[in-house]
Amino acid sequence: MAAVIETHGLSKVYGDVTALDSVSLSVEEGALFGLLGPNGSGKTTMIKVLTGQVRPTGGYATVLGLDAEKEGIRVRERVGIIPEQESPPSFLTAMEYLEFVGAVRKIPDIAERAEKWFDILEFRDKKDVLCKDLSRGTRQKLMFAQAFIHEPVLALIDEPLINLDPLMQDVVKEFLIDYVRKKNTIFLSTHILEVAEEICSGFAILHRGKLLHAGSVADVTAGGGHLPGFFLSLVRKGGHA
Amino acid sequence: MPDLFSCLMKEEWRMHSTMFGSISFALFPVMIFGIVFMGSFLLPLLSVAFPAGDLAFLAHASFLLLGFMVGGFGLLGNEMMNRRFGQASLLVYSSRNLPLSERFIFTNFVVKDIVYYFFLWVLPFGGGYIAASPFLGIPLSRALLLLLTLSLSFLLGLCVVFLLSSLYVRSKTACFLAVIVPGIAGGVYSAWSGTNPALLFPPYLLYSGFSWMTFLGISIAIAALFTASVVLFSPEGTGSTRTYGRMLGRLAKVLSFLPQSPIVAKDFLDLSRSGIGIGQALFSFLIPLVVIWFFLSLLESSLPPHGLIVIFSLTTGIIASTIYTWVTEFDSFGPYSCLPLSVSTLIAGKMTTFLLLQALPAVFIGAVTGMSSGPEMVAPAVVLCISISVYAASVMAFLCGLFPGVLVYDVRVLFTYLVLDGVALAILAAISFASSLYAFLSVFLLVPAYLFSRAAGARWDARDTAGV
Repeated sequence: MAAVIETHGLSKVYGDVTALDSVSLSVEEGALFGLLGPNGSGKTTMIKVLTGQVRPTGGYATVLGLDAEKEGIRVRERVGIIPEQESPPSFLTAMEYLEFVGAVRKIPDIAERAEKWFDILEFRDKKDVLCKDLSRGTRQKLMFAQAFIHEPVLALIDEPLINLDPLMQDVVKEFLIDYVRKKNTIFLSTHILEVAEEICSGFAILHRGKLLHAGSVADVTAGGGHLPGFFLSLVRKGGHA
Repeated sequence: MPDLFSCLMKEEWRMHSTMFGSISFALFPVMIFGIVFMGSFLLPLLSVAFPAGDLAFLAHASFLLLGFMVGGFGLLGNEMMNRRFGQASLLVYSSRNLPLSERFIFTNFVVKDIVYYFFLWVLPFGGGYIAASPFLGIPLSRALLLLLTLSLSFLLGLCVVFLLSSLYVRSKTACFLAVIVPGIAGGVYSAWSGTNPALLFPPYLLYSGFSWMTFLGISIAIAALFTASVVLFSPEGTGSTRTYGRMLGRLAKVLSFLPQSPIVAKDFLDLSRSGIGIGQALFSFLIPLVVIWFFLSLLESSLPPHGLIVIFSLTTGIIASTIYTWVTEFDSFGPYSCLPLSVSTLIAGKMTTFLLLQALPAVFIGAVTGMSSGPEMVAPAVVLCISISVYAASVMAFLCGLFPGVLVYDVRVLFTYLVLDGVALAILAAISFASSLYAFLSVFLLVPAYLFSRAAGARWDARDTAGV
């Protein structure tokens, strides 16, 4: 399998804070890859660097064969992104926001695709409501829809299940598993370890910007182990290193 | 109250200083002080062309305008603050999770604005003049009186806008009447008595001849405006859910001849649905300019033929350039960062929206010129106004990117902006005074404007987009 994401000695320093410290990582095509780490470990910065929103201060990253630093716009053309914090624009309706995304991404049948997503994520009744008046959960659904509406071969998603109710979390998890079956790749940042163990094939653990471990979930669970326990022991060790 | 007030002050300081560093921001009042201190030494020269009373009159008009601007920015911008600072949670929203009423927070917010901007603008201005007064033979009591009356001008502007914005949220008709009725009354009085109503501006009257009664009257008026704005205040849009049909696509189609038509369409929907468009047009454009017109018209006798309309066109152009601030203030790059858009594309989209909105100042200056100076002056005035507006907005886009309302308080940015605009204004005023036909030469400003816009894209693309 070809690598869709590769980083070599990737570093990012903000003032006196090292968000990423020489991270080298490879994610293969068709993986549902979980990037795990405590709060402030560098997960969000990693996604921002991979999508060309933030320039690395050292090393480099390629995404779908493109240089993430120099070709950020082309990377964002080809991938789907769910940012951790950003909300859809306040004064567009949910439908209009997807139309806006369709116009920017030049998707001709955006209305039909949007209608499909209103059904999948069950928020058809909110499609004409201004985004600022939507609940957090519905905004998250909308951000999910915009990330996948152009059927990208790679999606980088930051905490995709946050704010969703258990029923909708189940729908999303099923969707992600089905999506990678079609040879697409998901790069998922989360600190919900149970979810990562349930749906991810590969994972990496970041702590204080350093890569502590990268491997397959199956290797951890093969001998009856669990990802949360593995994660906690590793991070606690790493935390005292 | 003291705790909330001091936290609001800290928050305001940090919102500005985190964008470009505490030192650059702290130097802002120092620069104002320095400019006024040095500028005061030009007064003997200026008084040859303008009577001293006219200059004092202009200073009072400027501080009234400053009050309008600060008030408009503070209250129309609830939504924009959240947009600009991403997920920033501001104290002004703390009634959601703390046992504080909206009205209590609003009162503190208004007092904070008054104190904060007094120290940022008013005191350094007055201080510069006071410091220079011994060298110019101006009695200290006169300089102190100017500081007092400028402060009152600022407070009047601020409290009037706070009151209007409180009315605006409650009843747009009431707000409209509150603007129109005094406007008509002033016009009728002016026509009946042949006196410019601006001459009756109370702080200027106080400066011209101090009396404790006038001072008391102005203080009571300010207190009444402040109290009324607090009493009438009601939180905006709580609990309502607004729905709309699919307008973005239709609007983008209508505008499809423009580059970045979806961004432009989105801007127009933002302006219209947020109320910022109407609010800003009223509080930051029409009202200040109508007031300025009355003030400037008093200088007519000191100016060359057509000089008044030249000065007013340039002033309108500078104020019209702040339309770029309207269209950027409710947006940050954050929501776009997940899309294949660059900052330069977004700036180009905002500039396109800005250019379309130039219809507003063009119609305004055309109408004012037609009524006051005759039809032959309309074309030069409109060209002059729009050229300087486009030029100043391009400089702003270059220096501030998508953050003109915040970065303008960076002392280096403001200094560069003042120099670049000041040179253009001085040259245009000088040649247009010579002949109104020379005003057409202002179109040459569109060349540097284009270059600044292009350079703005390259400059801001070179920075990290996340958090921009």
